[in-house]
Amino acid sequence: MTAVQLKGVRKDFGGFTAISNIDLDIRSGELVALLGPSGCGKTTTLRMIAGLEVPSDGQILFDGKDVSEVAVQKRNVGMVFQRYALFPHMTVEKNVAFGLKVRGTDKAEIEQRLEDILDVVQLQQFRHRFPAQLSGGQMQRVAIARTLITNPSVLMMDEPLANLDTKLRGEMRRFIRDLQQRLGITTIFVTHDQIEAMELADRVAVIFDGKLAQYDAPDALYKRPGSIDIADFMGATNVFEAMIRGKTATAPFGSLAFATDATDGPAHVMLRGEAIDLHLAEPPETQNQIRGRVSAREFFGANITYTVACGDAQIQVIEQSRRMVDLDQEVWLTIPPDRIWIIQN
Amino acid sequence: MARKSASIALNERLSPYQKLYLLLIAGFILGPFIPLIIQSFAFRWAWPDLLPGTWWLEQRERAVLPLAWDYVISPYSQVWEATLNTVFIGCVVTVICLFICLPAARVLARESFKGKPAFEFFLSMPLIVPEAAIGIALLMIFINIGLAGTYTGIIIVHLIPTIPYMIRMLTAVYQGLGRDFEEQAMILGASRWQILRMVTMPMLLPGIVAGALFTFLVSTNIFLLTFFMGQGKIVTLPTLLFSKISGGTLDASAAGITLVVTVPGIILLLITERFIKEEAFGKGFGN
Repeated sequence: MTAVQLKGVRKDFGGFTAISNIDLDIRSGELVALLGPSGCGKTTTLRMIAGLEVPSDGQILFDGKDVSEVAVQKRNVGMVFQRYALFPHMTVEKNVAFGLKVRGTDKAEIEQRLEDILDVVQLQQFRHRFPAQLSGGQMQRVAIARTLITNPSVLMMDEPLANLDTKLRGEMRRFIRDLQQRLGITTIFVTHDQIEAMELADRVAVIFDGKLAQYDAPDALYKRPGSIDIADFMGATNVFEAMIRGKTATAPFGSLAFATDATDGPAHVMLRGEAIDLHLAEPPETQNQIRGRVSAREFFGANITYTVACGDAQIQVIEQSRRMVDLDQEVWLTIPPDRIWIIQN
Repeated sequence: MARKSASIALNERLSPYQKLYLLLIAGFILGPFIPLIIQSFAFRWAWPDLLPGTWWLEQRERAVLPLAWDYVISPYSQVWEATLNTVFIGCVVTVICLFICLPAARVLARESFKGKPAFEFFLSMPLIVPEAAIGIALLMIFINIGLAGTYTGIIIVHLIPTIPYMIRMLTAVYQGLGRDFEEQAMILGASRWQILRMVTMPMLLPGIVAGALFTFLVSTNIFLLTFFMGQGKIVTLPTLLFSKISGGTLDASAAGITLVVTVPGIILLLITERFIKEEAFGKGFGN
């Protein structure tokens, strides 16, 4: 169990600055996602924590001790690569035992720990196979076992769910979550997929252009993004310019009352599509009522997304597919004040 | 082995036209050897006969062995000495070449530096410049420093045309081997030496074997450079063959030597093919 801390970490590659300045606190036993678009520096951050890159400036602390200059081999971290990097010429068994073998652990102990870890990842019956004979999920479990057998103080994963199909994703998500909670190992993973980050992490660090943009729990990040860019990256669709006065935001389609704190002046108002209620007749409550017309409909199976034209603005409403509202139907939208978020820059 | 798999392919998958085409190619490759084999078993084969006028079998009481083979295995022919020299030089060249090219290929495959394209072009220069030009220039230098007529001299000149091939082949192999594997090994605690021995080398092995085989074959086939540097003191199979046929006659003994010259390559090919096939990881690298 190790707490990881990044203090003013910076990384330059020649003239290019990959990370300009990152401060990050990861508590012991926490599962943290580094989320950002490709090229934002999240993988570089992970590689610096692992010791594969040396920071140009700043410090990386494990439990308060500076490890910035400690060699990879001595840092006692674990990393699961995106493409698993299983050694193709070794069997599952040899792959998993590799870390202990190179450390000169004695044979009996290697054997013992190999048995234990193969049980944990449920790979006993595949132990004599070569990586080429395994499925994607099995390869990932081998990669995880190979890392965990060395008892790393920090576990790192690069896009852990990216290479798996939808069905396997759920299975691996539960597997990683359970394992992480059982072992209580501090885990950091990198992803460009906000769904993957929210699925797995206790806290998500959003990184844009080599800077930490926001560091929060998944639901906070989803409901209360700190900037338009973050809202956009987290998949928000209904973001409108608005004028704030007191507890009222005046948007192009009307005035909305909101509950959160905000200062007067120009800002953006964000409405989460699933928080909006869609009525076919004029509802009794008049607060936060928007009138419009259904201009488009997208069917996703369990959910339907309606695009409602309210004056010049297009508001997207996500609803469970219990009914189908016709196109061009006149509708009334309502949204509770406490589900409205104001983004101020 | 090759024939068996070819016949399966012939029967099961190919159209008659494709079979014919394959046979033509096989004929084109193997055809030239037929007169050599016939020649080596002839007693007298004079123009314009399509087949030898007299076969060795008919003259058995006059010659215990076919004339060609009798000559080839006699010490006068120097075939044995030349074979040893060829194999020895080929092996040393291959090993040195590997030691030079492995680190070079690693850098060329993974790093980018100023002037890299020019450097890569420069590497193929020995393949573009005529061998005779290199040979004569080097001979003048080597005579001065006393390397002419020595094994060292021959090995050094053999490195000139083999290094470009080897570097190209190993660069391609290194490009196929991502950094991930070595970085993963590092994170797992392996030292540089352990990574090289347990991860990099085994993964590069098929490429190394192919490169080594190619280098060996190129080395055993170099005539001109060997001829210049050997100065007649060191005989290899190609120089022996050339001196044998340079008079313009292709007699039975020349045919015999020619057949012997092809043997090391074929043996090596069979060994390495078996060796590569027995490696269980021919299936691709982990994805």
